[in-house]
Amino acid sequence: MQVTIEWYIALSTILFTIGALGVLVRRNAIIIFMSVELMLNSANLLLVAFAQQLADAHGQVLVFFVMTVAAAEVAIGLALIVVIFRTKNTIDIGEINLLKG
Amino acid sequence: MNAFGLAPLLLILPIIGVLFNGIVGRYFLDADRSTGEKWSGWFGTAMAVGTFIVSVLIFFSLGANDHHAEIVHLFNWFNIPSGNFTIPWAMQLDTLSSVMTLVVTGVGSLIHIYAIGYMHGDRDFHRFFTYLNLFLFFMLILVTGSSYLMLFVGWEGVGLCSFLLIGFWFDKPKGEGILNGDAARKAFVANRVGDFAMILGMILTFWAFGSMEYEVVFESALDLYTTTETVFIAGIEFTIPQVLTGITVLFLIGATGKSAQIPLFMWLPDAMAGPTPVSALIHAATMVTSGIYLIVRSNVLFEIVRDSGHQLFGIVSAPDLVAIAGAVTAVYAGLVAFTQFDIKKVLAYSTVSQLGFMIAAVGMGAYVAGMFHLVTHAFFKALLFMASGSVIHGMEHGHHHLHEHSHGDDHEEDDFDPQDMRFMGGLREKMPVTFWVYIIGSLALAGIFPFAGFWSKDEILAHSAYGLGVGEATPVFTFVRWMLTIGAFCTAFYMTRQIKMTFFGEGRHEAVKHVPESSPLMTRPLAFLAFLSLMGGALNIPYLTGGGGEEASTPVGMTASVLAAEEDKGLNLAFEHWLEHSIQAFTLEEDFENVVGPNGEHFFTHVPHTPTSLQYDIAISSTLIAVAAILIGWYVVFRVWPRSKEDPDPISQWPVVGFVWTFFQGLPLDTLYMTGIVKNIFNPLARFSDVVDWNFWHNFVHNNLIRDSFVALADFLATVLDPKGVDGIVNGVGQTARNLAEALRRPQTGNTGNYALSLFLGVALLVAFFVFAS
Repeated sequence: MQVTIEWYIALSTILFTIGALGVLVRRNAIIIFMSVELMLNSANLLLVAFAQQLADAHGQVLVFFVMTVAAAEVAIGLALIVVIFRTKNTIDIGEINLLKG
Repeated sequence: MNAFGLAPLLLILPIIGVLFNGIVGRYFLDADRSTGEKWSGWFGTAMAVGTFIVSVLIFFSLGANDHHAEIVHLFNWFNIPSGNFTIPWAMQLDTLSSVMTLVVTGVGSLIHIYAIGYMHGDRDFHRFFTYLNLFLFFMLILVTGSSYLMLFVGWEGVGLCSFLLIGFWFDKPKGEGILNGDAARKAFVANRVGDFAMILGMILTFWAFGSMEYEVVFESALDLYTTTETVFIAGIEFTIPQVLTGITVLFLIGATGKSAQIPLFMWLPDAMAGPTPVSALIHAATMVTSGIYLIVRSNVLFEIVRDSGHQLFGIVSAPDLVAIAGAVTAVYAGLVAFTQFDIKKVLAYSTVSQLGFMIAAVGMGAYVAGMFHLVTHAFFKALLFMASGSVIHGMEHGHHHLHEHSHGDDHEEDDFDPQDMRFMGGLREKMPVTFWVYIIGSLALAGIFPFAGFWSKDEILAHSAYGLGVGEATPVFTFVRWMLTIGAFCTAFYMTRQIKMTFFGEGRHEAVKHVPESSPLMTRPLAFLAFLSLMGGALNIPYLTGGGGEEASTPVGMTASVLAAEEDKGLNLAFEHWLEHSIQAFTLEEDFENVVGPNGEHFFTHVPHTPTSLQYDIAISSTLIAVAAILIGWYVVFRVWPRSKEDPDPISQWPVVGFVWTFFQGLPLDTLYMTGIVKNIFNPLARFSDVVDWNFWHNFVHNNLIRDSFVALADFLATVLDPKGVDGIVNGVGQTARNLAEALRRPQTGNTGNYALSLFLGVALLVAFFVFAS
């Protein structure tokens, strides 16, 4: 069975949807964070798949940028979560509502 | 070389005095009383003397200018080129105004000097001199103005100054006489009546002749009269005599107000409440003669009416009405003067009486005689008033002295009045200078040869007896003659009474013992005026060859050239010769259109006045009457009177005459005015006005219309427009912002999930948009 581009698109879409739902419904900040990573990587997968399909290296190059940015984001994001945990003793985003108007 | 260019100084100098005393006088006085009085008084006097010098220079310039009038144009008051309407502010310098300026500034200067002495120690010394200079300013406008409008400016101005000066002691407590403020208001109101007629006369003049300039009015009046043209006033056609009758009668009413004649004379005796220098200057010598000046100035108009024979309502012609008014006033005031005990009131009624002589003279066409009497009267009446002021001053000093040495024992305080002649007596030893000048003034007033009053009064009587002004004596002239003769008798009689009461007999009050003679500042001007009263007749000593009326009016064998030669002899008829250049006598001849005046611009001939001959019969009889009055008064009526201050006047004790005396003492005309006009007409009118004023204006218009509608409007603004409208807008803006903020606050839950959801939804929307839009 030939693995065609449609499979990749389907897998990517499933991964993105899982990530998006994770961001929306989970309350643990770490989980939300992971879900964001999942969405990023679903996009990466799609980029690689289309680069292969179109025999164009541009998509693969872009994946590296995304991975770099995601690594930086993880560094800052985890640092923020650690600080929040230290001050509020929780990482449940339902508790973190200082911006309430 | 002439001094006409200096004429504006006549107006500028007094104004400088007004400004000086009005602005800095108070500071000088406050800084140092005696130096301040010197500065204030002598500065004002210097300005008066300055105007006198200018007047003298103008007098000589007129002589050098062949007596031709000079009009000095200062500036245009109104100038409307499109309407061809210009009212210049100009000064007419002719022989008539020169006489008036000389009298006003000459007598005025002397009275300024006298006032420095008289007003010494008065709190408002500077204010007095401010008003005095202001009076000079307006009086000089009055006599030098070149049009009726200029005259009227001065006319109102001197009325104002008269008001201010009568009321000078407005805070003086109520004493014997009328309050100063009341007297001032009375004078002002009485003058308003005359001034109203004066304005109407001026309007009529302007309507008929399109100008108020003397020269234009007189020329066009003569021109229209001789060509028997008519004028249209308010669309109605009038002949010139009809119009001029209206104008001259209105001018007469104006003159009766200013010159205190029947029916508007009541204010003058009360005006004596003011300071005595004011009585002398304004209410004897100058301001009250402006009515005579007005009539003399308008002589052309009066003579046209006389020539036309037009009669007011078919009864009496306007000039005759003038003469009758003057003659009746002369007798009435003369009779009232009998009954007065106030030294100044006697002189006041005497002034009214003498003004009556002048008015009667000008009414008979004897303009020169009227002016002559005006000048001599200015001398001796100013003298008499100032001398009476000296007496009053002395009595006040004597009383003050008495009070100081009585150690608080003021048992006679309450009834003492320094002006009441009943308290005087025996003052001739105490005040010798005042006594002698008083005698001179009285003799001049009584018309005793050779004092000034003799010549001028005789001239008036001669005119009335022989009709010298118009050629024949009409019945009106005869009436005037007998009235004036009675007036002359009264004059001599009441002056005898006054001198007897004031200067002779025993002092009837303790104060008399302590009366001092007045200071030289006061007596020197008196001496100077006494000299003028003695010599003033020399101005116009009548021609000495006359004898009868016919001869006098047309001197035998006198052609024009002989006449001119006679006049060139100099002193004879100097005044007549001088004035004839302003009093534009004219004859209406057959070939009138061809006659051109000496200046080439007049439409009428300019004939010299018939020289006044000394009418021996009149002169002797009038002198005899005066002497008889003095002798009867001295040796019969007032021989032993008054023995004490309660001693009643002997005439009041006589059977029938006493009744008349009491009748006149009650001031019948004043009473008539009070009961007849004031009580029955003015008071109901005043009540009616009060009703109109209070019920209509105050209650209805002000309260109901204006106030209530205003309140309703304010109420609407306060309860509706402001809270609902203005506050609504202002609060609404804030409330809207609050509501918006409240609405926007809701989505800010602070819940990260919600934000994330909205983020996703937004992305989904954008994606959907781009997918489906493309």
